[in-house]
Amino acid sequence: MQEETGLLRAGWSAVRRNPRYLVWFWLLNLALAWFGTLALRGAASPILDTSLHADQLVHRFNPTALIELLSIPQSGSAAGWTMPSYFLTGLFAVTTLLLMPGVLRQYTSEYRVSRDEFFRTCGRNLWRYVRLALIYAVIAVPVTGLLFVIRKALVAFADKALNELFPVWVGGIGLAVIFLAATAIRIWFDLAEVDVVVRDQNAVRKSVGAGFRYLRRHWGRLLGAYVVISLLALIVLVAGVWLWNVLVPPSSVFGAFLIGQIMMVLWLSARFWQRAVAASFYMAEMLVAPAFLGARGPETGVAVGPAVPPLVSPS
Amino acid sequence: MGFRRIRVILLFSCWSVASAFAQSSAAAKARSGAESTIPQTTSAINSTTPMSERVVWYAIDAKYNPQNHQLDGSEVLTYRNLSGQALDRFPFHLYLNAFQPKATWIREARALGTRDMTYEKWKDEEFGSDEIKSVEVEGMGDVTGSLHYIQPDDTNKDDKTVIEAVLPRPVAPGESVTFKIKFHDQFPEAQARTGYKKDFTLGGQWFPKVGVWWHGAWNCHQFHATTEFFADFGVFDVKVTLPQDQVVGASGVEVSSVSNADGTKTLTYHGDDIHDFAWTASPRFRVAEETYQGTMGPVKMKVMMQPEHWSQEARHAKILRQTLEHFEKWYGPYPYKTITLVDPLGQEAGGMEYPTFITGDTSWWMPDGLYGPELVVEHEFGHQYWYGMVATNEFEEAWMDEGLNSYTEVKILDDILGKKTSVINMFGLTAGERDIQRAGYIGVADFDPMTRKAWQFASFNSYGGVTYGKTASVLLTLEGVIGEETMQKAMHVYFMKYRFTHPTKDDFLNTVEEVSGKKLRSYFDQAVSGTQVMDYEVMSLGSSNVNWYEKDPKEKKGETLYESSVMVHRKGDFIFPVEVQVKFDNGETVHEHWDGQDRWTRFSYLKKSKVASAEVDPEHTIHLDRNNFNNSSTRESDSTATSKLANFWVFLTQTLSQFLSWWVV
Repeated sequence: MQEETGLLRAGWSAVRRNPRYLVWFWLLNLALAWFGTLALRGAASPILDTSLHADQLVHRFNPTALIELLSIPQSGSAAGWTMPSYFLTGLFAVTTLLLMPGVLRQYTSEYRVSRDEFFRTCGRNLWRYVRLALIYAVIAVPVTGLLFVIRKALVAFADKALNELFPVWVGGIGLAVIFLAATAIRIWFDLAEVDVVVRDQNAVRKSVGAGFRYLRRHWGRLLGAYVVISLLALIVLVAGVWLWNVLVPPSSVFGAFLIGQIMMVLWLSARFWQRAVAASFYMAEMLVAPAFLGARGPETGVAVGPAVPPLVSPS
Repeated sequence: MGFRRIRVILLFSCWSVASAFAQSSAAAKARSGAESTIPQTTSAINSTTPMSERVVWYAIDAKYNPQNHQLDGSEVLTYRNLSGQALDRFPFHLYLNAFQPKATWIREARALGTRDMTYEKWKDEEFGSDEIKSVEVEGMGDVTGSLHYIQPDDTNKDDKTVIEAVLPRPVAPGESVTFKIKFHDQFPEAQARTGYKKDFTLGGQWFPKVGVWWHGAWNCHQFHATTEFFADFGVFDVKVTLPQDQVVGASGVEVSSVSNADGTKTLTYHGDDIHDFAWTASPRFRVAEETYQGTMGPVKMKVMMQPEHWSQEARHAKILRQTLEHFEKWYGPYPYKTITLVDPLGQEAGGMEYPTFITGDTSWWMPDGLYGPELVVEHEFGHQYWYGMVATNEFEEAWMDEGLNSYTEVKILDDILGKKTSVINMFGLTAGERDIQRAGYIGVADFDPMTRKAWQFASFNSYGGVTYGKTASVLLTLEGVIGEETMQKAMHVYFMKYRFTHPTKDDFLNTVEEVSGKKLRSYFDQAVSGTQVMDYEVMSLGSSNVNWYEKDPKEKKGETLYESSVMVHRKGDFIFPVEVQVKFDNGETVHEHWDGQDRWTRFSYLKKSKVASAEVDPEHTIHLDRNNFNNSSTRESDSTATSKLANFWVFLTQTLSQFLSWWVV
């Protein structure tokens, strides 16, 4: 437990020391989402901005007014409103993939990583991260897919019971198990991502292997830390919705925006915290491991590209 | 005129009178004879005399096996021939035969949709049947051989939901005939609000039910995916035998419960002035009872809950009691001694009405601010009036039950839970039942008239949107024309005048005209019989300085003279007079009236203020207008609503983005 707390503390320390990444990612997240609303604004504005009936959506939120709005031919289709956002959601994920090596470089460094180094690290690891993401998908999709199938079968079986709540409990427990399994896979690949950056590892399969071995040996510590952070993110969600409901008047767009964005920043912090936990764990446990030191030799030399600064600053 | 001719006329008149007298005394004689065959009991109602003209008396003895969901029954049906003519053919509904793959019900459900079943793949558990083993007619012998399925509505020879018996000799007008029917049921897994689910059974539409002689012909339609029921009033004496662990509820009053040596028990129920009989059984029901003091006498309220929903019992009992109070106060007395509210297992049996017996619809997670259970209980209880007592033909004029009931549902839920909050009031979301009804209608506004036969609608959505939503919106709009009190009085008069009589569209519309003293045919023709769509818009508004031509036309508030105009356009083909409210930027408000006859109109003003806004129907009494957003226009633009929507969408997109990158990257 103490080790887990130490890990959480070390991770949080890394996040706290580097708030600029949070700000960048939050701004990126917000900007992409804002662009995603342009279609909605374009369709809704001519109808709502001069209509007194729009009050149904301002001083209260009447869902039937939204249904009515969508049924008006001039407002276009709901798919037309939402499709840009789906693309931009994917774009945010891709951008995160692209920029994460730089973030992890910082989380594993004692010094402030320069902008130049940040982007060089990102560029150098781009295809490695793409390969990692593909391997992740090959593992995570079948495993979680299978777990969902098992869960569905168990719920269907439980549904034969007379008690209506029994399948609900089974389904809930099933979701918890899937969450834990998915989190474990996420930890595995978070460690692999750190390994790729720190060791400048071109053979990502080795990083995947190393991540798996260390997850297996320290799964309790790591999973515990990740779950604690996830629970905090859940608390943020519940508290945010509660505050939104209690504090923000229906007509206050700014109030809703403020609460929503605080939630967004906190969620981003939670995920960055998890990554920082992985980075701290890596620096403490994996980097010094003899097996790695042995394997590190031929791969630490930078064969191509610009020189990369020291992996770990002397301390 | 010559004497001989007058004599012929006099002779003819005398013969006519004598003949008519002879006929009427024969009919009266026959009727008095028939009256002795239908019990004049009143033990299930708070009245000392029968309330309906009783046509049928069903005495049914049923044995139900909950293991295989099969029922064996013997039915003794006494039918009074009040048709005024001899009858030798008698059609019977066999509703459970609808749940067979080639039945019309399933065909239509697959093509048009239903409330909760898709039938994409046939499952054996969904099979249901109601099979007549034998029919004997008292005094005429066995007529089983004459039985044959008929399809009055389509050419589907595989549909077995109506069977016809041919008698060896006709039943004279005014006489009674007694059928002794042996039948066997296979209940399906719950669908269309009948059947079983796990240990729960809802026995609805489970026995051979004779058609209705109506307007000179038998009215006995096949069971369709969008239709409900129509039957004659009478007396029901029903015995149900089932295992002793079953907790049972049923239409009517419980007369006795006897334990049998074989581990079963036999419950006997009696119903007066009802036209159907349903029952339910489950070993796990938890039951609460209370007595409501009605205007005609005490009413026993029985609430049967699933054990997992027991915490919601008080919520169910409360809305049932409140609904009863409102109906008695506004529309008329509830004469029955019982009302049973059943919380079924699963949604397939939820939200259904049978005489003195309704099913609710809730879930274990139902939060306080979501009034689904209240809505369903109110709605199903309302059917006790429009389906149960007024008893219109649900096959042919579904709106007169479902629609009128949706209207009264809006009124009562408005009063109990608030106009804007009667369906949802949580997390900043609010919606009233009138909004929900209208939302169901606006998407299907131009498909079907309300008067279309239920199985002939374009789709299940159109049937629902028009029958429920449009009717409620039509009557709410009518309320704006004749006044809320007058409308309530019209509903009361209609109920009191036509209860237990099977009225038609014109009976209702004439009543509204009579009570209101207004000619409303133009409205009814468009709204009830037509598919005209109402859509008014404020097309433009603006103000311009009358001295615009001056070289330096300075504008000064309160001094500059403006020429303002507001143009209102009738986009739809529904002609309806409307009020228009025009507001000026000095706070002045002008009210205009437009008869809506032309396609557009323009209101012009010369004032020392600019027009600020214009609104059609400022009191929001018109619920039929398909698009309320264009009913008003403001000179100044306000993007708050757009920004709020956009902000919601930003939040959702950000959440989705973060979720994706959390797990994928």
